[in-house]
Amino acid sequence: MDQEALIGSCLRGNFEMKKRYFLKGLLFAYLILGWIHPLWASDSNLKTFTFPDVVGWRQSGEIQTFNPETLFEYINGGADLYLTYDFQELKVGEYSNEKKASVIIEVYRHKTPILAFGIYSQERLPDADFLEIGSQGYIETNVLNFLAGSTYVKINSFKTGADDREILMTFAKRISEALGPGGALPSILSSFPEEGKKKHSEKFIAVKFLGYAFLHSAFIVDYEVSGMKFKLFVIEGVERSDCRDMMLKYLQQTGNPAKDVVEGHYTLSDPYHGDIGIHWKGRNIWGILNVNDASLRSKYLELFDKRLQERK
Amino acid sequence: MGDADRRERTGPMGKRLIGRRDFMKSTLAGFGGFFFLPQIDMKQEFNVVEAKGKEKKFAYRPLGKTGIKLPVINMGVMNTNDPSLVKVALDSGMVMLDTAQTYQRGQNEGMIGEVLKARPRDAFVLATKARLPSDQKTGLYTEEATEGAFLKKVDVSLKNLGLDYVDIYYHHNVWKRESALYEPILKALEKVKKEGKARFVGITTHMNEPEVIQAAIDSKVYDVVLTSYNFQQKHYAEIRDAIARAAQAGLGIVGMKAIRAGNRQEPTVKSAASALKWVLQDPNVSTIVPGFTTFDEMSIDIAVAENPLLTDPENKDLEKVASVSGLYCQGCRQCLGQCPEHLPIPDLMRAYMYTYAYRNVVHAQETVLSLNLPARVCEDCGQCPVKCSIGFHVSAKIRDVARLREIPTEFLG
Repeated sequence: MDQEALIGSCLRGNFEMKKRYFLKGLLFAYLILGWIHPLWASDSNLKTFTFPDVVGWRQSGEIQTFNPETLFEYINGGADLYLTYDFQELKVGEYSNEKKASVIIEVYRHKTPILAFGIYSQERLPDADFLEIGSQGYIETNVLNFLAGSTYVKINSFKTGADDREILMTFAKRISEALGPGGALPSILSSFPEEGKKKHSEKFIAVKFLGYAFLHSAFIVDYEVSGMKFKLFVIEGVERSDCRDMMLKYLQQTGNPAKDVVEGHYTLSDPYHGDIGIHWKGRNIWGILNVNDASLRSKYLELFDKRLQERK
Repeated sequence: MGDADRRERTGPMGKRLIGRRDFMKSTLAGFGGFFFLPQIDMKQEFNVVEAKGKEKKFAYRPLGKTGIKLPVINMGVMNTNDPSLVKVALDSGMVMLDTAQTYQRGQNEGMIGEVLKARPRDAFVLATKARLPSDQKTGLYTEEATEGAFLKKVDVSLKNLGLDYVDIYYHHNVWKRESALYEPILKALEKVKKEGKARFVGITTHMNEPEVIQAAIDSKVYDVVLTSYNFQQKHYAEIRDAIARAAQAGLGIVGMKAIRAGNRQEPTVKSAASALKWVLQDPNVSTIVPGFTTFDEMSIDIAVAENPLLTDPENKDLEKVASVSGLYCQGCRQCLGQCPEHLPIPDLMRAYMYTYAYRNVVHAQETVLSLNLPARVCEDCGQCPVKCSIGFHVSAKIRDVARLREIPTEFLG
């Protein structure tokens, strides 16, 4: 019996007679075929999440829920980017008070904390007013956004006047408590060399790094040294062979087809990005973009190597 | 009435044969009938562009009465923050960049602004957009939506982009006629144009498109419409008609969501090019703004700009995909109000889709339970009066999916 027939059978047949088969079928699918997504497995805190009570405010309207198929109804063209970061579910709650001020809270859940960091990092400005809430957050007029594990929370306020900051902070605290421990930012970020690093510029690109489908996810950070702006990146492969495949394809792309590739340092003339210094070791590929000075490229690749070794 | 309409409505002697909508809705052949428009509709202007040292011959079309001429393919920038991709797109002959203030909270506009700094102002066409707070359920604006708030958004966009003006500023994501005609925003748009902050103003719609497009025509304010338009929309005929009316009224039409149907995560056609070409068969569409994120995807799109004619194998590919469905509610909302019990049919069809298309029984059950359905559902009406626009047997699907209520939640959790 295929999966669809199994569901159909269970729905149409006598429930009491078939529930055992149904349960077995679900378990089978969950364990073997993986077609029922473990919605809450990666983030049990959100499964039990409910919008908290906040003194002086009442929840207005119903909680809205959006999933990957309906997210576009809420954020339209912006939805595609969220989907590349494995968006799972959005809950939207609204509060209002007697002064007719209102607060809208959006709780986005992604598949993993790294993917949630990825979409958060896409929307975070490096010079924002950062807060210690969840894994990290920031505040500006009428907006407070923060990351907590695999959830990304966006709080927007309206007609809150001079109390805006205090109101946003109160809501953020209550939501953060309701979500539970916020966790930390991805640990690999600490491996990026400190010299010249632009604070809070770290981003996680979930797919098609550098515009190539064969390069999957990467962390990338902005640097500035003596007025020279450049970027460092690291790709974490699932295993060594994964990185080897990416290197072979990148060599091919840059006009250096090879049957095999060995670990080490390469300078690739990328037709779209210019000269890229790149180093492959084990299941990491790291590199430097937008630097013409070969010695500076080497210096940063070595610094990065050391930091990655320290992490291990 | 376009040639395609005339062809469907009349035989060789001019006698009406069959209603177009009926024909299209009832047969796949009818569906495919729209896929090939007569050659006369395929006439278009080709302009030679210098791209990366190579001469390319791009198909160009006018954008309504704006005086702007654009390649038939341009770039939707929403999915990338990679400036190299934008640079290469422009260097390859694309002209228009489409973004929005909400994309990456303004950082998408900021990234584009950095790329544009090095280019002459007349070398590109920049379109961006914003919207104001609204009730998500009704699509109507809330009291926070004021003229001043919209004008502030326009200024933020200009600051992000580092430009004195944009070419098109859109009123973003509208699906209700009342919102399309919302006076504070219309006033703001007129002011934006008058002050030279935007050369032209437009409206974007992803849902209930025909109603919004008609409102845009009636407003006499909008110059451009950016609309979802793809071969998988079962109400594409209505969209096509609305587009034709808008074009007749002088509005420029920009297509989006040509490859993805708008509610699917992955493209469902083997060849994205086929989906793009399908939209470009409509001569009233000036251009499309696909959101490519790789250089390979961009190459495919550029090839379409060079040769937008849909081939027979490509057409067959689309027909195949179009016939597969049966699980996907199109969200046209025409069923609303037809049910004597006022059941939330689109939500129930979504639950059906979760169950059978996405195989996510947990989410399907959550959806069904959240709807507070009456105890007996679709059992007492006898003949169901609901006529689904794509022919779903609505009551049967509802009865089927309503049974999810009987399954203890813990069995699924």
